[in-house]
Amino acid sequence: MSEHALPRRTPRPRPVAHPNGWWGMALFLASETVLFGALLGTYWYLRFKAVHWPPLGTPEPKVVLPLILTAILVATSVPMQAALRAAREGRLGATRLALAVALAVQATYFGLQIHLFLDDLTKFSPGGHAYGSIYFTLLGAHHAHVAVGLLLDAWFLLRLSTGLTRYRLGGLWATTIFWHFVNALAVLVVLTQLSPAL
Amino acid sequence: MAATEVLGPRARERIGRLDRIWEERPGLVGWLTTVDHKRIGLLYFFTTLAFFGAGGVEALLMRTQLSSPDGHVLGPDRYDQVMTMHGVTMIFLFVIPMTTGAFGNYLVPLMLGARDMAFPRLNALSYWLFLGSGCLMYAGLFLNMGPDAGWFNYVPLALKRYDPGLNIDFYALGLIFNSISSTVAAANFVVTIFKLRAPGMSLNRMPLFVFAMLAVSLSLLIALPSLTVDLVFLELQRRLGFHFFDVGHGGSALLWQHLFWFFGHPEVYIIVLPAFGIATSIIPTFAKHRMIAFPLVALAELLVAFIGFGVWAHHMFATGIPTVTLVFFAAASMMVVIPSTIQIYAWTVTVMMGRPEFKAPLLFIGGFIAFFVVGGLSGIMFAAIPFDQATTDTYFVVAHFHFIIFGAAVFPILGGMYYWFPKVTGRLYHEPVAKASFWLTFAGTALTFFPMHIVGLLGMPRRVYTYQRGLGWDAYNLSETIGAFILTAGLLLIFGNLLWSRFRGPPAGPDPFFGGTLEWATSSPPPHYNFAVIPTVTSPYPNWDRADREEDARKLEAGELVLEEGHETPASTVRDGYLDEVLEMPSESWWPLTLGLLITVIFVMLLLAHFVIAGIFGALAVLALGGWHLQEPAEA
Repeated sequence: MSEHALPRRTPRPRPVAHPNGWWGMALFLASETVLFGALLGTYWYLRFKAVHWPPLGTPEPKVVLPLILTAILVATSVPMQAALRAAREGRLGATRLALAVALAVQATYFGLQIHLFLDDLTKFSPGGHAYGSIYFTLLGAHHAHVAVGLLLDAWFLLRLSTGLTRYRLGGLWATTIFWHFVNALAVLVVLTQLSPAL
Repeated sequence: MAATEVLGPRARERIGRLDRIWEERPGLVGWLTTVDHKRIGLLYFFTTLAFFGAGGVEALLMRTQLSSPDGHVLGPDRYDQVMTMHGVTMIFLFVIPMTTGAFGNYLVPLMLGARDMAFPRLNALSYWLFLGSGCLMYAGLFLNMGPDAGWFNYVPLALKRYDPGLNIDFYALGLIFNSISSTVAAANFVVTIFKLRAPGMSLNRMPLFVFAMLAVSLSLLIALPSLTVDLVFLELQRRLGFHFFDVGHGGSALLWQHLFWFFGHPEVYIIVLPAFGIATSIIPTFAKHRMIAFPLVALAELLVAFIGFGVWAHHMFATGIPTVTLVFFAAASMMVVIPSTIQIYAWTVTVMMGRPEFKAPLLFIGGFIAFFVVGGLSGIMFAAIPFDQATTDTYFVVAHFHFIIFGAAVFPILGGMYYWFPKVTGRLYHEPVAKASFWLTFAGTALTFFPMHIVGLLGMPRRVYTYQRGLGWDAYNLSETIGAFILTAGLLLIFGNLLWSRFRGPPAGPDPFFGGTLEWATSSPPPHYNFAVIPTVTSPYPNWDRADREEDARKLEAGELVLEEGHETPASTVRDGYLDEVLEMPSESWWPLTLGLLITVIFVMLLLAHFVIAGIFGALAVLALGGWHLQEPAEA
């Protein structure tokens, strides 16, 4: 609160400032963290109040396949980051290639997860017991986020076909941190989901 | 900024160029496509004022019903709807959009020395979503299907079995809709505050009003998802037969309360923090003294918001949760006293150290401090668990939170309306009438809400639509109703004064009160581009640094920091406020309104259970988002 004049020294050279879009996404993800916190918190809250979890007659969740799928999804953080780095260096071809690789893997993950989701729906329903309700809601929320990420990837692949701009770079940066967030949460979601079988 | 006629030819040429760059289309189209934060602020202002009127009419209906025993103005069903909508309106459709949407939108960029918000089109979108959500909930009320389980909507009452109509669905979908608007607005504020401050405005030179808006925005971002999840659970249970809240199928009724109050208590501070910000704007101006303990007050504002996340279960002291939990939350609730008291002392001592001039805005702040102390003291009483358990669900609670939400949150809003009226309209309000309106409002507020303490202690439960004769409550209730009408007269006098002054008030000039923050450094009303020269800041009260502001006039002549090449605003570093880059900002656009309408249709279709149509409009909204992003800023 000093009344000293504005510092006259020249500031040290700084790294490129985060674009507004990055900040917007970061704050949105802070909000999303609480959203998933509330979902995960509800899962554990209901679980600690239950005698049988899952309730008698409901099959225990699968362990191996969801874990493998999650590992594959988490691995797509690497091509996403590679796409961002290539875009920063202005290498358009490499950006699009890395993004396409990430999109292909993530889309495969999404397809398999939807298959598992529908398969689970044939075995027990969200309307039977609170276990099914929070199980399907939690997974549904996660899958919805993956779907949004796929749309973002596809959008940038399309936009990058006409070249790279500062605006698109900012958007790609925001998309990359969105995927890092979704991937990190996927670990928490899958561990929670399969915890009754451990 | 000095008047245009004393400027040199080059300066005038520059101003002409800025005018052409920043001008928006005239007429209705201009308002529908606007991305100007000042116009969006005004749209918010008039819309929230309309909702305030509706909420006020609902309050008067209830007070008329309760003025005497066995009142029958409204039947029990209607009363439930009116009472619920009164709460929902005042919180979600009046105080929050008024303080963030209207005051925040209009003032934050001006106080920061910026030319717009960080995301101008998103800002417009947040307004259209707010308007849509408010209209959706009021459509319910007008169709006699308004929300009717109280603003906190406890289950199992709010479940399908006990509330089979669409009432609760209007509530749940309306509030999910509303929280999208609040979330994007909050993110927009934080980015604006972090990135768009004028060069030299390091964090320790940022106005305290902006600190309050920062605290509010961060709180909204963290608190709202909990409500959203709760409402989604409720809709899934009501519409699709999921089980979250019914014990018979492994759910828990208390789950609703935990998730609701994890949002709901921070919400209280979201309501009252902007009021703190307004107080810290008005007090230094009329006390002619900078806020004492400036950094402590800034930290206290952030601390109130932070502690607000650790106290939610004090709304649940009577629900039978374990004692150890109760004690933790009681202790955390006591802690809120510390940052609140820091601020109360800072306000009062600043007034005592200065040469206070008790014009109407400062009078309203005086009323605010008085009501805040009373409401705060009854709040501390609730932190004592046995007292809370004895008075929970009585009118004592109603008295407490109206002292906070009306006395402490709305009084600064009213004072702020007078304070910034000259800035927004360029005219002065009528001071003697303004003072009279304060005393009328103050007396009305005290008479309405103070007796509620007494009837509460006498055992009158809250949320009753009528009561029997002979319980000793009659005289208090009658005086509350008389108070409510006096309060209404005071409010009408305020708005009458402002309306009259809008057309007949004498010209105000750029800075009628010698305010210290940057909004007073530009003309009244401010031009579309806010500042012809981006101001350079060297203290927390830059408009009191006359040499700096005279330097602005010289810079305009020389063309420094004018940014006359395009739709531009400067961005600075997050902490130190060094000038970093110049950002090209979007200009007027139809996309926010289009997307707002599409999302409104989605929610209406969800309400009517036309899920396929809702999905189609969801796909259209995604396409609209694509269209929104096709237009890119010019490459530097």
